[in-house]
Amino acid sequence: MSLVVGEIVLNRELVSQHFLMHVKLPVSWATPQPGQFVMVRVRDRRDILLRRPLSIYAFDRDETGLVIELLYRIAGKGTFALSRQKAGEHLEILGPLGHGFDIFPEMKKIVLLAGGIGVVPLAFLASHYMKLPTGDHLEIIGYIGAKSAGHLVGVDKLKEVCTEVKISTDDGSRDYHGFVTELLADDIESFIDGDSIIYACGPSPMMRRLAEVLKACLDAGKGKPIPCQISVEERMACGVGACLGCVIHVKAIGDKTQYKRVCQDGPIFDIRDIIWR
Amino acid sequence: MSVVKGSTEQINNSEPLMAVDIGGLILKNPVMTASGTFGYGQEYASYIDINRLGALIVKGLSLEPRKGNPPPRIMETPCGMLNAIGMENIGVRVFIDRKLPFLRQFDVTIITNIFGETIDEYKKVAEILSPLEGIHGLELNISCPNVKRGGIAFGADPDTAYEVTGAVKSVTDLPVIVKLTPNVGDIAGIAESVAVAGANAISLINTLTGMSVDIEQRIPHLKNITGGLSGPAIKPIALRMVWEVVNRVSIPVIGVGGIMDANDALEFLIVGARAVQIGTANFINPRATLDILEGIEHYLKRHHIMGINDLIGTLIPEGET
Repeated sequence: MSLVVGEIVLNRELVSQHFLMHVKLPVSWATPQPGQFVMVRVRDRRDILLRRPLSIYAFDRDETGLVIELLYRIAGKGTFALSRQKAGEHLEILGPLGHGFDIFPEMKKIVLLAGGIGVVPLAFLASHYMKLPTGDHLEIIGYIGAKSAGHLVGVDKLKEVCTEVKISTDDGSRDYHGFVTELLADDIESFIDGDSIIYACGPSPMMRRLAEVLKACLDAGKGKPIPCQISVEERMACGVGACLGCVIHVKAIGDKTQYKRVCQDGPIFDIRDIIWR
Repeated sequence: MSVVKGSTEQINNSEPLMAVDIGGLILKNPVMTASGTFGYGQEYASYIDINRLGALIVKGLSLEPRKGNPPPRIMETPCGMLNAIGMENIGVRVFIDRKLPFLRQFDVTIITNIFGETIDEYKKVAEILSPLEGIHGLELNISCPNVKRGGIAFGADPDTAYEVTGAVKSVTDLPVIVKLTPNVGDIAGIAESVAVAGANAISLINTLTGMSVDIEQRIPHLKNITGGLSGPAIKPIALRMVWEVVNRVSIPVIGVGGIMDANDALEFLIVGARAVQIGTANFINPRATLDILEGIEHYLKRHHIMGINDLIGTLIPEGET
């Protein structure tokens, strides 16, 4: 992890409020793991003080350096300022930060559950799995949902790296009409043979509902528990574990609970450890 | 002396003298980390050379571990941020076992920020830390706005501030810095009280109590409702308060509050702060402390000032603007 100045190669709106940015970084930058993030900030802006945590979407390394791809949604002033940046301008990038997803090469089915912009770390993860020596034998199934067809991002990327992609929209404007968790819930029994893992990233209600689906499946005595890792989002200040600003409530040993830092202890957590607000 | 190409200004090439004396504690330079913004040092060790810091002030320690406040704990505001961490910390004993050995590897002044819910707890934490190798000073936090007991309750009243300072001084031989809250009517009065009680130095300011609301949901952005405001938004207030305090007490004053770069730090030093603490800036730039140190050195050279002590307190109040 390091703080470097990168050059924006591309910063383009894909669909309304969603931007794809490519940033060229020096050779020295560490190779990111799927699930890791960067902290970015438009330089010399004191009104927008803090860096913004953004998941890494993809990366490509050659002898001249590394290009990371960031896909982000305008959520406030910081990401808006970022969206105004042009190719050729420079950004300070801190990272790669946090712990990535655990990789299980012995699994046969890799299930991805993406809500909206939550597709970002999952697309990176899927391409990582696909490149594994065992990648050809893997079944990678992507479930992606958004408010409407116009809000879907990352579907093409998922299609490149998944065996199958299933789409849902809350308003029914494309494919399945309803929440993506229900689309997955319909298929859940195909993942209970101990050879599947679910990775998820999306809004908190989506992940909370996923936890319920998994619990219901287990309570019904159907097959084996399905391991599930999720990528959690919180407001952050430092990104390196110092400020303790980004904590979430998780289970600890016995009946105890504790706060864990999303930036340093996460952003990847076992879904069963989360205590939902 | 030499002339820099392309510049009419002369630069003094000899390195300026940077050491400062903080109530008997000699720091190699006046740039320190502010408590709570630099963890226990480890978090930033891969980003900067810790040996170059004037001092490292660790996250506030209490007698027992503290879980802290429920999230959300932070919110950005224009030119600043609110936090309500609630003094989450591992407790003084775990600090000694797990964090102090790491810090001892460095040739740097270590100051532990300490915190209690009662005067007795402040004394106990001070007693535990004082004899230990590798700890060079104590900073009393009597100014945290985000806890129900302790913290600001001790720093808002001159008599209690006097009492807690005196109590800690009676159990330690280490230099004691008292960190003051700006959430009071007369900060210089509190400063006088802790000086009379024997404080070796004063640091100010801690955060200003603030608030921010999500208008769509009509809820506060912080679970704690209120939090402490830090960052460039508070710098003019911090500077004014340092000015008031240096004019009232003779013990060294350490300036804290919204220092983002060397120019900000220089303002505090010129006004009379003997040293500065860098807080929120660390979050944005892990190298902020060293960038600021280098910027101060460059300024001294540019102005042909031999050492930092020749700059401190040289404000010309009646000067034309």
